[in-house]
Amino acid sequence: MATAKKGPKKTSSNAKTPSSEKPAAAPRKSSAPEDSAARVNVAGFSDSIQLGSESSALFAKAAGVAVICLGVSVALGASDGDGFRRWSHGYLAAFGVALAITAGSVFWVCLQNLVNARWSVVVRRVGEVFAANMPLLAVLALPIIVPVVLGNPVVYEWADKAKVAGDEILAHKSGYLNPTFFLVRMVFYFGFWSILARYYLNHSRRQDETGGSEIAPSMTRVSGPAMIVFGLAITFCSIDLFMAVDPRWFSTMFGVYFFASCVLGVHITLILALMWLQGRGRLAKSVTTEHYHDLGKMLFAFVIFWAYIGFSQFMLIWYANLPEETAWFKQRFAGGWGTVSWTLVFGHFVIPFFGLLSRYIKRNKTLLGFWCFWMLAMVYVDMFWLVLPAVDVEPNLRAMDVLALLGLLSALVAGAAREAGKKNLIPTKDPRLEQSLAFENI
Amino acid sequence: MSDSHEPQASDSGPPPLHGLLAEYRTPAELLRASKKVRDAGFSRWDTFSPFPVHGIDKAMGIKMTILPWIVLGAGLTGLATAILLQWWTNAYDYPWLVSGKPLWSIPANVPIMFELTVLFGGVTTFIAMLVLNNLPFPSHPLDHVRRFARATDDRFFLLIEAADPKFDETDTRALIDATHPIAVEGVPEDRKTSDKLPTGIIYSLVIVTVMSAVPFALAAKARYTKSRSTRVHIIQDMDSQPKYKAQRENPVFSDGRSTRLPDPETVAVGELREDDHFWRGQDHGAWVRTFPPTFRVDEAAMLRGQQRFGIYCTPCHGFGGEGNGMVAKRADELAQGTWTPPSNLTDERIRNMPVGEIFNTITNGVRNMPAYGPQIPASDRWAIILYLRALERGHAGKIADLEPAERTGL
Repeated sequence: MATAKKGPKKTSSNAKTPSSEKPAAAPRKSSAPEDSAARVNVAGFSDSIQLGSESSALFAKAAGVAVICLGVSVALGASDGDGFRRWSHGYLAAFGVALAITAGSVFWVCLQNLVNARWSVVVRRVGEVFAANMPLLAVLALPIIVPVVLGNPVVYEWADKAKVAGDEILAHKSGYLNPTFFLVRMVFYFGFWSILARYYLNHSRRQDETGGSEIAPSMTRVSGPAMIVFGLAITFCSIDLFMAVDPRWFSTMFGVYFFASCVLGVHITLILALMWLQGRGRLAKSVTTEHYHDLGKMLFAFVIFWAYIGFSQFMLIWYANLPEETAWFKQRFAGGWGTVSWTLVFGHFVIPFFGLLSRYIKRNKTLLGFWCFWMLAMVYVDMFWLVLPAVDVEPNLRAMDVLALLGLLSALVAGAAREAGKKNLIPTKDPRLEQSLAFENI
Repeated sequence: MSDSHEPQASDSGPPPLHGLLAEYRTPAELLRASKKVRDAGFSRWDTFSPFPVHGIDKAMGIKMTILPWIVLGAGLTGLATAILLQWWTNAYDYPWLVSGKPLWSIPANVPIMFELTVLFGGVTTFIAMLVLNNLPFPSHPLDHVRRFARATDDRFFLLIEAADPKFDETDTRALIDATHPIAVEGVPEDRKTSDKLPTGIIYSLVIVTVMSAVPFALAAKARYTKSRSTRVHIIQDMDSQPKYKAQRENPVFSDGRSTRLPDPETVAVGELREDDHFWRGQDHGAWVRTFPPTFRVDEAAMLRGQQRFGIYCTPCHGFGGEGNGMVAKRADELAQGTWTPPSNLTDERIRNMPVGEIFNTITNGVRNMPAYGPQIPASDRWAIILYLRALERGHAGKIADLEPAERTGL
């Protein structure tokens, strides 16, 4: 099997590497004459493509951090003595970031297969691994789902039957917003995403072993219908989890708004994960500045997309000026929440827009890494801003919120580390691998 | 390569050499050759390929284009233009209140700011691309080289111009030969075709430019001249119909009016309003203090009054009639100084006012309260007064008014 070494890999040590490391499988050479140059490069190509023992080390570390952070967070939440009301809201905001990253990964993998993408093949396995965190995320969603099923209105007041009966609006919406249907939907969302993510990972890995040329096209065929269902699932899931915190407010744009964070989440994760892997000498030659540049371009594009959707949602509500819609924004533009709103306008759009505009920055690993951490923080601010005004009149970031976020992110890292350690870090027999290795932005 | 030095017919001897053209079979060969020419220090040369070749920029030593900076500047100019345009038109030159929003309101301006940023950026990209590439380029000596036609099909070319300071026909040819092209050809200067735009195109452009100014000129003329003819009315939309409208001259009647009054001494069916008590709240010139006999005072009337009061009176007078409705509150907040606050309907003065006088106030209005007679039928006006009396009674209520059982509930 492939060697796992610390530090940048020396070319000489690759002389003995077995065939599984040589991505350019001889039987499937392209007949196009332009490929001849690329093929020459690939023939002598070798790279460290397995995580090996570092997988379990990272898993142990990340899982430990996750357990400690979540444990302390829960303890701090219990010490509030409010029946976990404040803690649940903080956890839901942190869960938003974790969901954005994981559902974003499912979307991203589905998209690469759907459009038969060539540039992203060397990056795709990392995305598949993060998408495969979905069952773990379903477990981490239990602190939100279980109280609803038990009829406890800790976050969602419509979970309380007595309250719904006494409130005309909630009673009217109870056909959709009721614990049973909520549970059914959650099972569907997380079940569908888990199956889809596992499907992609398993088929992609099977291709590593068998090299079956029919596998890639079959994944493409599945991706069309899967993308449609994904679109509906992410729309309704974001409505159920985040919009329903304030059951009187509604925005038909909310699903797309959350989706923007999903796409940001996956690109942040991919860039940072690749940087970590390359720092450990993995994929050092497979993933080049060109791939970072493309991931950076997508990050930049979705910084703008987020602002476009966020502003459209705001402006339509602002212009129509209907009390039942404006109340949500009025609360978020008063006092300290106003500061948070303006932080989002500048920190989530204006500053990173100019920060990521230049080609030079997207091709510079240090700067791109900085903007990834920046945007990750901003995605959390966005989730905080969505959920927390429901309990806090003034923004109040507490230790238990930060610990919940760190715990959930560590859990995702742990899950990905465990999964990534099992097999190759790139799809070695993907028919498009050569083109991905030779990928260049003009 | 027998045709490589074919002499061209010209006025005065053979034309001078424009440059040397080398032909390659693959992009890889072109890349290798480009690197050699780049390293030899040439500056006036170019490569041609049927599709973009990855890495050609680097192989040719082409510097990063300044186009992004030009586009950034144009985008920011578009942004500034959009802000200025909307401020000047809507908030400064011709203030126009839309939907109660501020005259200069950034959220409403953002779509235009976005659009103009994109428009300026996009148009500038196109124009700057033309300028930076020296386009349009009506003629080039390569147009007359037969083999060069394959540059759009399956061959890759490299041209070094004779105008390059490093160019020397023998040395440069040796350099090119060392890159193993499949053909090398001297390209003569083109003396047959002009490198200027055809005069027809130039005149067309001038004419189109001048014509495009005509609408602006007409608009400017219309702004500063007066005319008695009606405006140009292209889409009629049934705007002109053979009928007489209100306020228009009508030749049919001797007084020339289109709007007619009913004939004197006539009453339309159902509009005979003889009952002063019911229709005017008066009895021989004095305000009545009782409800008209034709108006049934019962619970249905009371509920009807409550509902109508809620619709017509509460915006100003408030649900309790204390004069604190939404309109009044908002007016107080604006503090514009032109506002007469609505009366508190539960105070002493109104409590003692005869119902007839209240009826008259609702019907004809008072101070800045408009006349509600045309909107509210007379029986509903009486119902409102009935409900108002109940409101006043509630305000003046004392503990003794309650049943003993109700008192304990307080």
